Formats: sequence, C-alpha cells, structure tokens
Amino acid sequence: MQKSFIAVALAAGLLFAGSASAQIKIGFHAPQSGPAAADGKSSTVGAEIARDWINEKGGVLGQKIELVIYDDQNKPEQAVPIANKLIGQDKVVAAVSGSYSAPTRAAAAVFQTAGIPYVSAYGVHPDITSGGNWAFRGVTLGGPQGRGAAKFISTKFPKAKVSMLTMNNDFGQSIADGFKEDFAKDGLTLIKEYTFGLGERQFGPIIASVKADNPDVIYAIGYYFVGGPLVAQLRAAGLKQPIVGAQAFDSMKLMEIAKDAATGVFVVGGMDRLRKTPPDLQPFEAEFKKRAGYDTEAVAANCYSSLMLVADAIKRAGSTDPKKIRDALAATKDFPMLTGTLGYFNSIGEMYMPLEVTVVKDGTFEGAAVIDDKTILAPPGK
Amino acid sequence: MLFVELAVKGLVYGCMYAMMAVGLTLVYGLLRILHIAHAGVFALGAYVAVVVANATGSLALGFALALVVSAIVGVGIYRFAYQPLLGHPPFVPMIVSIGLFIVMQEGFRMVFEAYGISFDNNPYYTSTVAIAGINLNYVEIAMVIASIVLLVGFGLFASLTRAGIGWRATVTDPQMATSFGIDPVRVRYINFLFGSGLAGLAGALVGLLNNYVEPTMGGLVSYKALAIIVLGGLGSVRGTLIASLILGVVESYGAIYLADVFDRDAIGFLFLIIVLMVRPQGLLGRK
Repeated sequence: MQKSFIAVALAAGLLFAGSASAQIKIGFHAPQSGPAAADGKSSTVGAEIARDWINEKGGVLGQKIELVIYDDQNKPEQAVPIANKLIGQDKVVAAVSGSYSAPTRAAAAVFQTAGIPYVSAYGVHPDITSGGNWAFRGVTLGGPQGRGAAKFISTKFPKAKVSMLTMNNDFGQSIADGFKEDFAKDGLTLIKEYTFGLGERQFGPIIASVKADNPDVIYAIGYYFVGGPLVAQLRAAGLKQPIVGAQAFDSMKLMEIAKDAATGVFVVGGMDRLRKTPPDLQPFEAEFKKRAGYDTEAVAANCYSSLMLVADAIKRAGSTDPKKIRDALAATKDFPMLTGTLGYFNSIGEMYMPLEVTVVKDGTFEGAAVIDDKTILAPPGK
Repeated sequence: MLFVELAVKGLVYGCMYAMMAVGLTLVYGLLRILHIAHAGVFALGAYVAVVVANATGSLALGFALALVVSAIVGVGIYRFAYQPLLGHPPFVPMIVSIGLFIVMQEGFRMVFEAYGISFDNNPYYTSTVAIAGINLNYVEIAMVIASIVLLVGFGLFASLTRAGIGWRATVTDPQMATSFGIDPVRVRYINFLFGSGLAGLAGALVGLLNNYVEPTMGGLVSYKALAIIVLGGLGSVRGTLIASLILGVVESYGAIYLADVFDRDAIGFLFLIIVLMVRPQGLLGRK
C-alpha cells in the first residue's frame, strides 16, 4: 500500500516536473543595481505581476510563462551579453526591456539579428525601433509627446507665453523638439528655453531668469527627481504660473519631494491613477503596492502591459514561433494597456496611443484631459 | 537685478561646495591622498539626517547625529583604509577610496532602497525671505551661515590654538613637526574629524535643500569638489574657499548665458581648464 502510494506520488511529481518544464520563456532585463535601480525594481515587479496573473489564469497556449530576468545595470555593454544569453542559452521566444534607452538600443540590435521579437516598455530613443522590424515600443515617442504638450497647453491656456526648461538628454531633447515643431502653429509663444543636466537639483539661476521672463505657463521636461525639487523651488520663489511637466514627472516621488507645491502640476503623458478602465488597472495598483511597498510607478505599468501584450500576441499567433509572434505583435489592434489603448503599430513598431494628461490632486495623479489626435500623435516612420 | 540675483545664488552654491571641498583639500594637503570616499561621507550625512529626523521628528537631532556620525566614519576610513597603506604610492589609497565610495553608494541603495527619501516635515526649503528683492530660503541661509561659522572657526583653531599650530606644522613639514614632538597621528585624526563632519553637515543641508536624499547624491558633488581643489591649488585651504565661491558664481551665470552650448557641470570644468592653462599650479598653489 505504502509502496504504491510512493509510486503514485513519484509519478505525480514527474508529471508536474514535466508540465513545469513545458514553459514559454520570455526574456526580461532591467537595471537592478546602479543609479537606475529604482526604476529597475518597479519595472521588474510590474513584469512579475503580469507573469503571475497570466499563469494564474492558466498561462498561454496551455503553458506557463517563465520570465527570465537579468540585471543590465543600465549599461549597454551588459545588455548585449544578456541579449545573447537570453537567445542562445535560455532560448526565449520573445523579450521585453524594462530598461532605459541606452541598454535597450544595444540589445535591440542583437534581437534583430537573431529574429526574436523585442518590446521596449518605456525606452524612448528612436534608434531602438529604427534598426529593423523585430523591435516594438510600448510607449509614445518623444516627438509626439512634445507635440501633444503644445496642443494641451494651447487648448487649456490659449496664446500663452511659455518658458521651457529642458533636460539635456535624449529623452528631454526629443520631447522639446516635438514641442518646438508645433508651438507656433498652436498660437503659443516660446520666451526662452533653458537646459539643465540630469544631476541638477538646484535651479536658483534658472528660476531667477524665468521670474524675469514672467511667462504664462512653465513647461518643464525632466524626470521626477529633477521635477520635484524644481517645482518646489519655483513655488518657493513666488512663481504661481501653471506648470506643465513631461511624462517622466509621473512618479509618486514627485509629491513626496515637492509636497504641496506639486498640487496642480500637469503631466502630459501621465497615467490617471483613478481610471476605472482597463479593469486590471485598480487591481494592479493594489497588487503593486503590496509587493513593492510603495505606490504604482508608470514604468511598472508599462512593463506589466508590455508583457501582457507579448502574451496576447503569442495567444493570437497560436504558436511560440518567434516569427509568428512578431507578425501577431505587428497586427495588434486596440490592445488595452494600463496607460491607455494601444491603437496600432506602424511599419517600424512605433505605437499609436491617445496621450493622457493628468494633474496632481489630493496626493495622486488624476485625469485632466486626453489628446486623441491621429495627426499630431502619429508615430514617426523610418 | 537678475545679474545680482545670479551672483547671490552662485555664492550660496559656492558655500556648499566649500563645505564639501575643504575636507578633501585637508586630506590631500596632509596625506597626498585623493579622498574620493569623502563624497560617500557627504551622502552618509544626508541619510543620517533624513532617517533620524523622520524617525524622531526632530530635525535638530538628525543634524547633530549627521555631524557626529560622519565625523566618526571619516576617522574610521582613515584608520582602517588609509593608515595601513600610507607607505604605498598615492594611487593605491586612491583606488581603495574609489572602491569605498562605490561600496557606500551601493550600500545606501541596498539599505535605504534605490528611490530616494524625502523629509516628512521640511518647511524650510519652501519658506523664503526676500532680502533686497532676492528670495533666499531658510536652508540656503543656514548653509551660508554654517559654512562661514565653521570655516572661520577652523581658521581660528589653526592660527590660535596649540593643536592648530601643530596641525599647520605637520602639513608644512611632517618630519620636522614630528621631531618637535607633535603627534602626526593625532593631527590626522583631527583632520578627518573636522573635514568629514563638515562634509556630513553639507550633505544633510543639501538633502534638506532638495528635500531629497538619494544614494548617488555624492557623485556630482564629488567630481566638482575635485575640480575645486585642483583649481584652488592642491592642498591650499584658502585657495579652495576662493575656488568654491568662484565656481558657484561662474556656474550660476553659465546656467543662464552658456547653457545652450554647455552643460552647467561642464562649465565648471571648462573654467578649470582655462585657469590651469594660465596658472598650472592653481589659483593659490605653490609652483
């Protein structure tokens, strides 16, 4: 009796081991150490929630999803061997980047050569997708974001005179370029553009000069860790003008740093935390807080949605053949991302998504407007 | 008006740079070691201040502990990292110092999480006083006062007290000082105690000023402080003070008038290069 029980248990064990090995492997890399580790952690938690929720519902094509995760330290020279490892050793059928532009751009070339579909969850450099037809982007590019900001400002504050503060990296420059293409057409005046570095936390000189400019609106393009001190210092200096920030202002840290000064700040390309659609947004926010210990960051939502998108493409492809997954990704229509509905991908894998504008209110980001304009937000082609 | 305001803002930043750079130049003057881990001590001061202040609700306690802990850690770095290596060429302790700085940065990240920490209660960085039409917040004013008090205090210590004279003698000629009965080890302890305490306090003030303490906050200031001590003439305290203030003002104007061409951080180095072309020994350095 006991023997047969052991035999059954063993057989069951083998069976489970067998089914566990029949998994669909998807690669994932994010900066888990070094200066970008904060976003790396949020990204990873976001992707892990997607993996667990997919698997809880029975996986994809009857198989579980296995996320193969590596730390790229936000370095291109780490991302390339990681991409090779994911392809050669781990045999992934697709991969998601939860990293910044530089490592994503380097890895994209490797995935392109190997013919493995690759989704950049929030890396915004144009070269990530322009190298071929295997890379896709889960976030709106800088150019359309900047044009969207011009549209939003001109609608909300017609004929405004704008002072612009731009962070001097690829993220800041590409958004600023988009804005500068459109602002005059939208009836805005650009008084002066100031630039600052990523490490800047003290804006005394710039603020003194903006004060002398006396603009109607202040448009600031930078990350939350520059945005927080900037907003606080602008308000402390007595500037009461509306402040419009760029997508990367979207972090709860913005309020933590700037406290009350953050109230009323607009974020073009932000994520409305109170939105009821898609239905998985509110559960995601709760689950993220439980796992990470802090409130949802937009990069986490991007990574979650990018993995969901890949899983959906595998389902639609009905196969784990990378080629078929790529074709299914390219054919995506109206997919509900947490940040908005992904309309379509263009020929080089850039997506169209209406741009959400949020405003800081009662300690969270609330929806303020949605820009759904297929001409100004059209993803750039080759 | 803008012109004056930029100068004032620049001087405020200059005071911050001075508090950071003086410790670095003291160590270099005495031991000929480039003490890169000094930037880690700066960040440590900020972390102690924010963690203690948030836990106890007392900003004063946070600052007092920041000063004490960074001073002690600075002395510890000398005792356990540099002292055993004094017989080696200067690049050996420098490599140790770089390693230590990286360990400290990653240590902050592991212990306090990668997203930075803000002060729960910090009314000072948004409360401003207008002096002759120029807005300065309380933390900026505190930074200027703290740097003046501490540096003047150190100047008096160095010129009026026995220990201070011993310190100066050791910097000028260690062997001669030793043969006159001055204990060089004690002088080094004083050196690290003062320099590190100053850096820790500067870190705490910068944390309060930005209302944000992050693992990498030492990085930016560290290379600026290096530029400053080279600019001032390596090992010259007075040169360092002057260089700090000049760099603050140059950056302040540069951020407005040159930023289209150069990053604010690049402006400091451009200035450094120009000065070194004219005076290779630095502003107050000896040939």
